[in-house]
Amino acid sequence: MLTRGTLSYLGQRLAFLAFTAIAVSSLVFLGVHQLPGNAFLSDRRIDPNALAALLHHYHLDLPLLEQYRLFVIGILHGDLGESLVNRGVKITPLLLREATVSAEVGAAALVVTIGLGMVLGVVAAVRHNTVVDYVATTTAVVGFSMPNFVIASLLVVVFAVWLYNTTGGAFYYELGWHGTHGNLSQIPVPAFALGFPYASIVARLTRASMLDVIGQDYVRTARAKGLPERIVIMRHALRNALIPVVSVLGPLVVGIITGSVVIENIFGIPGLGKEFVTSILNRDYNIVIGVFTVYAVLIGLANLLVDMLYTAIDPRIHY
Amino acid sequence: MATIGLLLTGCGPVAGSGPQSNQLAGDQTFRFPINNDIGTLDPAQLNAEVDSEFAINLFNGLLKFDNRYNIVPDIAERMPDVSVDGLTYTFKLRKDVKFSNGDPVTAKDFMYSWDRAAAVQGPYGSNLSRIVGYEEVTARDATVKHLSGLSAPDDYTFVVQLSQPTGYFLTEVAAYTLTTAVVAQKVVDKEPDTWWTKPETLIGTGPFKMVARTPKQSLDFEAVENWWGTPKPTLKKVHVDVIESLSSAIAKYEQGGYDTVGYGGMSTLPAEDVLRIQGGPKKDELHLIPKSRTTWVSFNFTKGPFRDRTGPAKDLRQAFNLAIDRKKLVEVACARGTTCAVANGGLISKGLKGYVGDAKDPLAAFDPTKARGLLKGADPDGSKTSALTYWTNPSELNKAVAENLQSQWQENLGVHVDIQTVERQQFFQRQEKFEFILARTGWQADYDHPQDWFDNLFITGAGNSADGYSNAQLDALVTMANAKQLEEARRDYEQAAKIMIDDVRYIPLYYTVGQFLFKPYLKGAGSNNFQDYYWNGIQILQH
Repeated sequence: MLTRGTLSYLGQRLAFLAFTAIAVSSLVFLGVHQLPGNAFLSDRRIDPNALAALLHHYHLDLPLLEQYRLFVIGILHGDLGESLVNRGVKITPLLLREATVSAEVGAAALVVTIGLGMVLGVVAAVRHNTVVDYVATTTAVVGFSMPNFVIASLLVVVFAVWLYNTTGGAFYYELGWHGTHGNLSQIPVPAFALGFPYASIVARLTRASMLDVIGQDYVRTARAKGLPERIVIMRHALRNALIPVVSVLGPLVVGIITGSVVIENIFGIPGLGKEFVTSILNRDYNIVIGVFTVYAVLIGLANLLVDMLYTAIDPRIHY
Repeated sequence: MATIGLLLTGCGPVAGSGPQSNQLAGDQTFRFPINNDIGTLDPAQLNAEVDSEFAINLFNGLLKFDNRYNIVPDIAERMPDVSVDGLTYTFKLRKDVKFSNGDPVTAKDFMYSWDRAAAVQGPYGSNLSRIVGYEEVTARDATVKHLSGLSAPDDYTFVVQLSQPTGYFLTEVAAYTLTTAVVAQKVVDKEPDTWWTKPETLIGTGPFKMVARTPKQSLDFEAVENWWGTPKPTLKKVHVDVIESLSSAIAKYEQGGYDTVGYGGMSTLPAEDVLRIQGGPKKDELHLIPKSRTTWVSFNFTKGPFRDRTGPAKDLRQAFNLAIDRKKLVEVACARGTTCAVANGGLISKGLKGYVGDAKDPLAAFDPTKARGLLKGADPDGSKTSALTYWTNPSELNKAVAENLQSQWQENLGVHVDIQTVERQQFFQRQEKFEFILARTGWQADYDHPQDWFDNLFITGAGNSADGYSNAQLDALVTMANAKQLEEARRDYEQAAKIMIDDVRYIPLYYTVGQFLFKPYLKGAGSNNFQDYYWNGIQILQH
């Protein structure tokens, strides 16, 4: 599967990704410095001497081009600089850790999206026009029409508050995050909130494309050969039904990445999504640039991964 | 409303008044959330309130404010001797004070720390500005590193020479912004910018030390064994999470995940949560504590219809002021008065030195009839007030206040005032240039002394003046008062406050009230106008 063609294609895509990262960070760098105000302004106007000292410490007193030069040199060394608000905090390790946290929740959300979505879709298609189908389809419509912050708030009310009160604190979802990787019990609820809306999309797509495939001649042939229904569905129908699903996976992953901005704030998860909001509100230029860059890279990587996945599922596609 | 009034009168209620056993819990870990990570813990650089709330438990100065907000000796053995001319302060140091690494603290350490704080020029570096030699150390490209006004005749005597008599000097020494706290030269010199970021090099003198920090996620502290001061800490550990969303933090508190919400400078809780708790079975856990912040409307004294200090412009100011029913404002905009209280005792917040007294500010009156009369006299054809705009920066509270002001001016005065919201950063920049005719203005006191308000806001050319007001009489009074000790200066400051009232300088609005949640099993936790009660007085009872 990994032919020379694939490898060179991969190389091209990665090079393009690196270029995108530098272009995005440069644009954000220039854009963010055009915003009025800075991280050091507040109700209490800072003493001019103290302000000068701060600006100097962060090179903000240099001409913009010179700042940009230092910034690019930093980026090439993998150094995104230092937070303007939380002094002494290096941005590269900070964002790497936060990206790990987000990735954990995001991966779990992806499992929800694909797993739940496919199960709902397949079940609905196989039990076409029965009660099971209606229930599964309705669930999907509900999930699709509710914004993720509504789902998240409902989950907090049910799992964090109601469950805690009814079980007297014996069994509940604990808000927040422990250590770098969180508790296993802290991941499912936010992952569900993040993944469920997209699971609905997957469910609808799977159902439609399964119905389409189940009616095809080769499925009838498989059945005629006397294969058990389970094998017919799993091996013959599902695999072909998956191609349209995979094609929306790219946008779905992007949706999960951006959705984490809302979800992480509601559940108190110290990830990249939370950082996205805080850094902009705090005018923490350096972190804003870093977060945007990491997002650009993540989205690029997600799309690349999905493109690679095509070849695995459909042998007719190769690069 | 009656209950709120009752709660407000208490100066920083102490948590743990409910029926509880007095037995200590086995696990003495104090847990609370903050919604913004610390900016720094370097005493010379402290800026935000959250920074100070932690640093006061890690570092010490010569004096400190106790929980009741009195100035008391800290590393100093007793209050200093002050020379007759008010220029020389002699501090005697305790001999048993040690850094958390075991090194003894001497007067030389204080010399080093104060010299450094002046040279570094952090946000509160100017707290040292009255010390002889300050100009030389802080000049651009300064080569002088030592404040010549500081000396240490022996290891436990520290002498400070001031350039002029300064009544508020001891307040600055004790202030919780900790500019004057002692730091360990050994670690600071090695890594001047980052020594405080790591547990190994964050060496202080306080009852607690940092043991772990994950930036923007969590902070952990532990009690220092055999700490030199009193009371000895009962808590063994302090765990802090950084949680942006206050509602999530409150939900976790209700799950039993935190012992308090409000510590660490995040005592502005969402109104809907506060009202829900107030109306629920856990209402005793909610404490409303007056803070050191006042909000008012400032006029422009450099241009526009309100410019002149006297004459029709003054009548116009009074008309706009008397048209506001502040009780209604607080009821509507401040979640039925849970997040703020009517500012009817002057601009200096309730509970602070310089507060004029409940209902003592005539500007807080509501008199729509008189307001309309004044308006008619000052602006008969309505031309001066036809295109007014009230400026504010965005926040839920600011928006609610602006809309209420707008409707009251319309209803009681018949004047339509537009509302314009500009983003926070831009708002301050433009206010500094006196671009607004009518604008929201607020101030959070740095320390408990009227000088903080007058020098920063009220005198001619004050660095944080929002209105460009100038009155030589007021300036003279303040200069005089600043030189005296507070007891003798109080009358002058009151006189100066009266001048601003006579000139109708401002429209008083409200004092900020902090909302805290304390579990009933917490003992010794609380907060005053400025700071949270020290961690070393907190105990966790069995529950």
